[in-house]
Amino acid sequence: MVEFAGHLPGLAAAEVEWRMLDFAAWGESVQVSVPVLSEAQALALAARVRENARSYLKTLSVAQIVVTIDKAVARLLDRDDPLRQKLEAILPIVTGYDRETVRLGLSGYLRTFRAPQLQRFLTEDFANPGMLDAFQPAIKGGFTRAYGPELLLHIWAGNVPGLPLWSMISGLLVKAGTIGKVASGEPLLAGWFAQILAEIDPKLGECLAIVWWKGGDEASERIWLGEADTIVAYGGNDALAAIRNRVPITARFLPHGHKIGFGLVSGAVLDTRNAGPLARLVAHDVMRYEQQGCYSPQMLFVERGGKVSPREFAALVSGELASFARTHPRRALSVAEAAGVAAWRSAEEMRAFDETGRAVLGDAGDPWSVVCVEAAEGLAPSGLNRTLKIVAVDSLDAVVPLVASHRAFLQSVAVAAAPEELFRVAALLGEAGVTRICACGRMTAPEAGWHNDGRFNLLDLVTITEIEQSAELAAEGFAPYVD
Amino acid sequence: MQGIRPTMRAFGKAWLDVTEAQIIEALLAFIDRGEATEAAFEEMALAVFAYQFAHNQPYRRFAIQRGRTTLTVRNWRDIPAVPITAFKDLTLSCTPPEQVERVFMTSGTTQGGVRGKSYHPTLAVWDRSMLVNFRQRFMQGRDRIAMGILFPDEEAMPNSSLAHYLSLAKRECGSADSEGFIGPDGLDLGRLIAGLERAETSGEPFALLGASYSFVHLLDALAAAGRRFALPEGSRILDTGGFKGQSREMGADAFYDALSAALGVPRRACINMYGMTELSTQFYDDGNAFCPPVKSGPHWIRSRVVDPVTGRDVPEGTTGVLAHHDLAHFNCVSAILTEDAGIMVDAGFKLLGRVDGADSKGCSLAVAEFLKAARG
Repeated sequence: MVEFAGHLPGLAAAEVEWRMLDFAAWGESVQVSVPVLSEAQALALAARVRENARSYLKTLSVAQIVVTIDKAVARLLDRDDPLRQKLEAILPIVTGYDRETVRLGLSGYLRTFRAPQLQRFLTEDFANPGMLDAFQPAIKGGFTRAYGPELLLHIWAGNVPGLPLWSMISGLLVKAGTIGKVASGEPLLAGWFAQILAEIDPKLGECLAIVWWKGGDEASERIWLGEADTIVAYGGNDALAAIRNRVPITARFLPHGHKIGFGLVSGAVLDTRNAGPLARLVAHDVMRYEQQGCYSPQMLFVERGGKVSPREFAALVSGELASFARTHPRRALSVAEAAGVAAWRSAEEMRAFDETGRAVLGDAGDPWSVVCVEAAEGLAPSGLNRTLKIVAVDSLDAVVPLVASHRAFLQSVAVAAAPEELFRVAALLGEAGVTRICACGRMTAPEAGWHNDGRFNLLDLVTITEIEQSAELAAEGFAPYVD
Repeated sequence: MQGIRPTMRAFGKAWLDVTEAQIIEALLAFIDRGEATEAAFEEMALAVFAYQFAHNQPYRRFAIQRGRTTLTVRNWRDIPAVPITAFKDLTLSCTPPEQVERVFMTSGTTQGGVRGKSYHPTLAVWDRSMLVNFRQRFMQGRDRIAMGILFPDEEAMPNSSLAHYLSLAKRECGSADSEGFIGPDGLDLGRLIAGLERAETSGEPFALLGASYSFVHLLDALAAAGRRFALPEGSRILDTGGFKGQSREMGADAFYDALSAALGVPRRACINMYGMTELSTQFYDDGNAFCPPVKSGPHWIRSRVVDPVTGRDVPEGTTGVLAHHDLAHFNCVSAILTEDAGIMVDAGFKLLGRVDGADSKGCSLAVAEFLKAARG
């Protein structure tokens, strides 16, 4: 089975060099052809997308763009649609995530891009989204209008299905000519989404391209970085630093680095009625996408003093992870990933020999691992792939100093607490640099219109043009109807 | 060996009575016997395991946690392999550590300065293991050879197993004019060039041994000086340890091509030694004409390729993580799980690089990047 990745308006498949990427999982394999463009082709494509966006996309109203995206998303949500069926069949092989995780993850994620959610998304960033279409009166006087980039380059990373759609849709909403560079770990979805858009509105399909180059390929990267006026990039800090070094000083660079998520459970909620369901939600967050997402939890701080102790809660979470291992089997790990899991687990085992307050739950061969620690311990990554450390604390306030030194890596936190405590703790977490607080079980499904990494995802892309009041008043003096 | 064999299999507890002296004597004899069948290796491995299980308390706890005791282990492959990171966290020694003759430590480059320690109550076994194997695999029939050492000596680095290895090689197998070329100020290029010139004109084979990164420094220095040598027939090179951030990284082919071009030693005479502080025995290849070459060790060490999560052998021909079982490492633990990827082949294994720094496939922060940031 060979699938083609990318979306290259104006270029015929035969004109382009293709490279084959091999994927295998769950006993099946698939080959994905990714395009390798020459410098001339890349430059021509950039010019074409920029020009098409200028002459067409920027003439559409935001409302029209929302309608088109909504139609495309509706197709991907329709389980009878052939493309949706293809996604469900192929993404598990490409990413290794199990079928149910891909199916549920896709639906849950795509649902946040329907028309009402897109409108919410727009109003989160623009008090009056009409300023994307025309000059709007400003409160201070004069008029303002927002313009998206002429050419917006997305450099995606990782294999969590669908993540590229997030920034791609943001770019389209601000009418940016769009180039997306897919990751070798999941090269398909972005290109297919672009093709659906092109089927619904062929002219809009000419305003975006989906390309590929090998991550870190400096020569290719330089070509594209030289063309774009705004760059959104995902990846580890080393990769981002390398990209930033090549970004022209006049371009806007918006990096999204790797993040570490965690959870807080108040002792007050840990009674025998809540503990079981809560443990299932925590395990769900750990299981979903094998902790590969920036929003995935790698540590859980549990307050002592509840009817269910942190150690007992750790046992409940372990039980739920064991049950998920049957319904949602862990994806096959590479040697390096398996070594990462084993190294994390065995290091914890070693420490458990010398400390009474440290327990490693489950067997070494289990497809999950939970470690429970009685002494306060600072935030640190787990071994990923369903490995979680549960740290007992005397109060939720005690968590803040344990995470504060990692400010640059903070993003999502799940909190299970009563309202008063939720808001009190949220204020402390926000101060420490946390940008998203959600319920347990929702960590991997940010709500529509969320502010990824605490930024204004649309506003960060635009520039504002202002007609100052002086120009407006002066113009009155030049009007033909002036007295 | 005769005196202790009867108690070995059926009465695990009796091994509490086995003395260190008896184990050492048995091991020296085992190394000297020239070869060992699977059964003979297994017999010795179970004996050494029983000794370690009795006297090395952290290892005993580790083994019990893995459900492996002297009562349940029947096969050398079932002896639980300790991840090498444990040498940093635990004191793995059958003898009280303050009583040992020598402690070898890792360089501490991989984990924020924490150094793994191997305790040696005597170096008799370590030295015998090294020399018997070195003579066979590197000396290849020669009694002595003129050596140049590209590494600090044992006095400068008393806790370095590599410094000891190279000092021992020079003392036992080097001719009288052998010398070390790394001093307190680094590579003494002038003296080394003079040494290489002498070797070139002498017509006698010359051996250059040292850390892989020191060879990179040498290559760069020779290139800068515009010097090339054609060492006499029979000359050889031994490099070990990789580049460890001490020099620029080079691909294996580029590295051996450059060595061969700069020194006139064919790639088949460029031998890479694979050793670890956490072992008392080394592995060698038979030259690097083709990379990656097959590595193998002597009859008192055996290797497996395992799934690091389950610890079980992976199917043949599949990549996994290397686990070594070194009988000579008797005072610490004999079975270790490395952080090196490998694949078993007919005559040994191929080494495929380190596996410690797995990045996440998505956008979650993984340990490697976190540690890097924490170190600043």
